[in-house]
Amino acid sequence: MSATGRPDAVALPAVGELLAGGDVKACCAAVYEHPAVRWLLGGELHPGGEATTRRALELIGVRPGERLLDVASGIGTSALLAAREYGCLVAGVEYGEGAVVDAQRAADAAGLCDRVGFIVGDAGALPFEDGQFEAVLCECSLCTFQDKPRAIAEIRRVLQPNGRLALSDVVVDRPLPPKLDGALATVACIGKALSRDGYEDLLAGAGLRPTAIESRDEDAAALAERINDRLRGARVLGLDRMAESPVAIEEAIELVRAARWAIAHGALGYAIFAATR
Amino acid sequence: MRNGGQDHLAVNSAASTSAGPPLGRTQSICPRCSAVLDAELLVRDGRVVLSRECPDHGEFEAVVYGDADRYLEIQRFNKPGESPRERQTEVAHGCPRDCGICPEHAQHTCLGIIEVNTACNLDCPICFADSGTGPQEHGYSLSLEQVESMLDAFVRAEGEPEAVQLSGGEPSIHPEILEILAAAKRRDIPLVMLNTNGIRLARDPRFAPALAQLRVHVYLQFDGFEEATQLAMRGRSLTAEKLQALDRCAEAGVSVSLAAAVERGVNEHEVGAIIGFGIEHPAVTGVFFQPVTHSGRFRLDSDPLDKLTNSDVIVAIAEQLPEWFRADDFVPVPCCSPSCRSATFALYDGEDVVPLTRLVDVERYLDYVTNRAIPDLDVREALEGLWSAKAAGGSARVAERLECVACATAIPAELREVAARGFMVVVQDFQDPYTLDIGKLRKCCVSEITPDGRLIPFCAYNSVGYREQVRVEMSRATDGNGREGRR
Repeated sequence: MSATGRPDAVALPAVGELLAGGDVKACCAAVYEHPAVRWLLGGELHPGGEATTRRALELIGVRPGERLLDVASGIGTSALLAAREYGCLVAGVEYGEGAVVDAQRAADAAGLCDRVGFIVGDAGALPFEDGQFEAVLCECSLCTFQDKPRAIAEIRRVLQPNGRLALSDVVVDRPLPPKLDGALATVACIGKALSRDGYEDLLAGAGLRPTAIESRDEDAAALAERINDRLRGARVLGLDRMAESPVAIEEAIELVRAARWAIAHGALGYAIFAATR
Repeated sequence: MRNGGQDHLAVNSAASTSAGPPLGRTQSICPRCSAVLDAELLVRDGRVVLSRECPDHGEFEAVVYGDADRYLEIQRFNKPGESPRERQTEVAHGCPRDCGICPEHAQHTCLGIIEVNTACNLDCPICFADSGTGPQEHGYSLSLEQVESMLDAFVRAEGEPEAVQLSGGEPSIHPEILEILAAAKRRDIPLVMLNTNGIRLARDPRFAPALAQLRVHVYLQFDGFEEATQLAMRGRSLTAEKLQALDRCAEAGVSVSLAAAVERGVNEHEVGAIIGFGIEHPAVTGVFFQPVTHSGRFRLDSDPLDKLTNSDVIVAIAEQLPEWFRADDFVPVPCCSPSCRSATFALYDGEDVVPLTRLVDVERYLDYVTNRAIPDLDVREALEGLWSAKAAGGSARVAERLECVACATAIPAELREVAARGFMVVVQDFQDPYTLDIGKLRKCCVSEITPDGRLIPFCAYNSVGYREQVRVEMSRATDGNGREGRR
């Protein structure tokens, strides 16, 4: 229960209002650092959790002592894993200030603050100089970025020549049901996701050479099922009655139902892309 | 021995093969002469089979778990045993001949059972206690004083026992049953259960209010709704009486667990309906499914190689209620052997059911082998109290522990009462002379309390002759007709 212990914070964030402000980045950051969302995701903020993170790091062969940048590092789970299990020197950049505070606290608690650091920043203007990193990890977040070519160009810029990128993300290979087109879907990494070819073109367009693609569709199905269970649990317990927006849980349940249908029918999935500069 | 004699299970994990080497070695008995025999646990057709050969009576085999992969997988829920405060017997003849509890037993008692009589108002074809309405060979009825001394023995052994069940025979027809239940309550045992067929509850309108006053939890035999089920299990149709008993309990404020004996080909198709009924009924706080024990007066045709086991019941529940349960919602109870008892708690709002296991990673807390770090030891302790033979849905201790778990999962205080009403579903397989695995028996945490103050693990009591011994001794001490004799 890494992301729990704040009983006052069960109401789901009002995604519609946040998005109405037009700032998707701020909205996503606010949603993913929200305790209720962390609880719904069970501390696992992307499909497959730590297993997917390990696989992504292995696909690009990170080595002890290498400098790794984690783009959209959230509460720092993957950055800490890369430092602890792979011996990397890790920088995490994250748009949500609250998440950065929590991540730094987690690094201190794990005794890893000499090898991991977190900084508030924007993926569209990374606060690092050119060629600073041997490797970049970007998990389940590119799909929420509005200007994806710019984010990839930034990643390429901070990679040194022959540096490697592990990108894991939601893939949409066929048309999605209309329910998966709304504001909540955007934040849930679905609305603005690309197809497998779309990601490859994006990487190639930025001058990165794809070296591997690995499907993780089963992890996506498992995560969707878990979120569905937790939303139903929240409703059974009556959390919807306490939420600021009583429709939030029903809306989320509908979204997850549509997502599960799309995953089961091959329209929606998850994949890891490895690329080299 | 840390794992109650089953350390070997980690060694061989080729469960999927149908004719591989044995999963493990243990001991069992000959179902005919009760001789203790070396035995092997084998995988056959994906199931776990206990096999041994008696020099006088030949080879015996019985299926002990219906899913060999799952059997291996759940061994990680085997919690290191905890000792009782006091042991009553010495090691003399070796397990299972020294029960009571002897120094070789690896586990204290979570649930004590006292069988107050042998007389019954039914003649069930499946009775493992060999009770009935007619004249009883070696029948007995305990006096209040005898029960008081048995309760005292239980308190000495456990310190602060949490759960006791008064059983029989049919305990509700014992003339002093209310005094007996009061005696248990006086000893501050939080969960006092009456194991009954419900006939007295249905017929005697004063009985449920009397139980309510004593805050007794009713463990009500309830095998299903179909006439054929009831004829096979109980000898006659009892639906009207069961429903009336439940309604009287609801009116009086008595909480009830439904206890269903489940037999292959008889009522395994009714498990979903029993849960669906129980979760709606205002008196019912949980359902216990018990694959029928093939001991005592067991009269159905049965093949020990076709016996229903916990995994079969769990699969049946998941198949019949797929919107509510998956097989992995049923997490093994860690203090006994993991294949003995599995449980889950279901949250219900009148429309949807969500098992607690979907909201809390119970497996992670109750895994004693692969675990790295337990994030919150208070939560583990609460979960150990919930996943236990001392738990019954709706009891005060269970509500407290569910609240503790709810709190740790960030459920706000105003809503914890919903979590505290979690509906308990338990699958409990007791062993019989065919399935008895002595390694497993050493970790048994359900004990029969005998009039001489021993605590005999339930499956030993029913399988190796203790029940018969106690009956003979007790019938000598009473006149055999249910009245106390001269002592």
